[in-house]
Amino acid sequence: MVQLAVEMRNVIKKRRSKTIGPINLELPEGHIIALVGQNGSGKSTLLSMLLKLSLPEEGTISWFGNSAEGELPMEIRRSIGYVPESPIQEESHWTPEEAACFRRRWYPDWDQAYFQALLDQFEVPRGIRLGKISKGERRKFEIAAVLAAGPKLLLLDEPSSGLDPFAWRIMIETFQRYMDERQATIIISTHIVEEVRRLADYIVLLHKGELLGMAEKDSLLGMWNEVWVGAKDEEELAELAAELPEALELSIQAPGMARMITSRLPDLEKRLSDLGVKMIKNRILDLEEILSLWTMGHRPELADSKRGD
Amino acid sequence: MWIPIQIDEKSAEPLYHQIETQLRSLIISGNLAEGTLLPSIREFAGDLKCSVITVRRVYQDLEGEGLLRTRQGTGTFVSHVGDGAREEYRRETVRKALEAAVDAGLSVHFGREELEELFREIVKHKYGEEDKKEE
Repeated sequence: MVQLAVEMRNVIKKRRSKTIGPINLELPEGHIIALVGQNGSGKSTLLSMLLKLSLPEEGTISWFGNSAEGELPMEIRRSIGYVPESPIQEESHWTPEEAACFRRRWYPDWDQAYFQALLDQFEVPRGIRLGKISKGERRKFEIAAVLAAGPKLLLLDEPSSGLDPFAWRIMIETFQRYMDERQATIIISTHIVEEVRRLADYIVLLHKGELLGMAEKDSLLGMWNEVWVGAKDEEELAELAAELPEALELSIQAPGMARMITSRLPDLEKRLSDLGVKMIKNRILDLEEILSLWTMGHRPELADSKRGD
Repeated sequence: MWIPIQIDEKSAEPLYHQIETQLRSLIISGNLAEGTLLPSIREFAGDLKCSVITVRRVYQDLEGEGLLRTRQGTGTFVSHVGDGAREEYRRETVRKALEAAVDAGLSVHFGREELEELFREIVKHKYGEEDKKEE
């Protein structure tokens, strides 16, 4: 059975204007989980609850099989690395080296050589106060300092904001290599589809505070097709619609051509050919479109982390 | 190590099936020699932009077929491919191509004799040319 890095049971967080949850999640160790959803959907709140920076009104959370009453035990806190949405102001008057010097006191496994190597790779300027370097450079320092502590669980809140494409690539490769060598777990909140494509194993979708579920990335991609077929007018389209239970959102796009979407392409193809209707073109919907269909209620097959392995 | 596998993101064929089919033929055709160390699951997933779940499934399937073996702590290696398997693979490749050709014939109502005649003509033409080259 898969070991769980994080388990959330009926977790509810009440904010003044909205409620987040109930969240039920089982995040398997050794995987990268992308947290996606619009602004204000509850991604950052979810991450801060995993650090006990904000406390849920209801429900339980456990880390590597241990739940914690009161403060997060040092043992667990040390094994978690967190890159917050905006950097900690208290460190702004320190240089990268000074900030690292402070941080390493809390992490017995701190790897100074790894930290230095990451700063070099990211080309973070040394000897200059963190408050004076650019937003992207500060971000790169944060990533390097978090990885140097050797966490088993990484919580990344939009880690690539402010990074140029070159640094972004190094960041992706650094996370992949870290995962390969340490068998860690990453929970990453992001708006960038390419980041999800490159990194994620699972996708967790939040929408207006509600958890819509967790799906395997590869089963999600390629799930939906957009299909164009020949159809004379609205009347013919309505007849067609009655014959095609696997097609959704049918509409006339141009004279003589109708458009529809389906998650069951082989069935649709067969039925169209039985009806003698010509398929003009089809294309696979991309991840953004799939996620938007999901928020509208077209749920994919959800992952059950206890199955498999 | 980089493995030449081409993913068609537009294809309706599931990702895991695309990877498995291509990796299998690279092994059976001998392009990946016995003993070759394959990339780690995470590395391969990164190259192919797919999840580790998919790569793990492919490795497990091909291990089940005896084409790969995993040594704990070292990684996944290409296993010995028997002559039998290689012979069967050659045969299967040709069989599939021929079946596709016959299906094409059926779809335009080609008669059996017409088809056989055309087949013999093509064989004569192609193999005949090769004989000439050898001379």
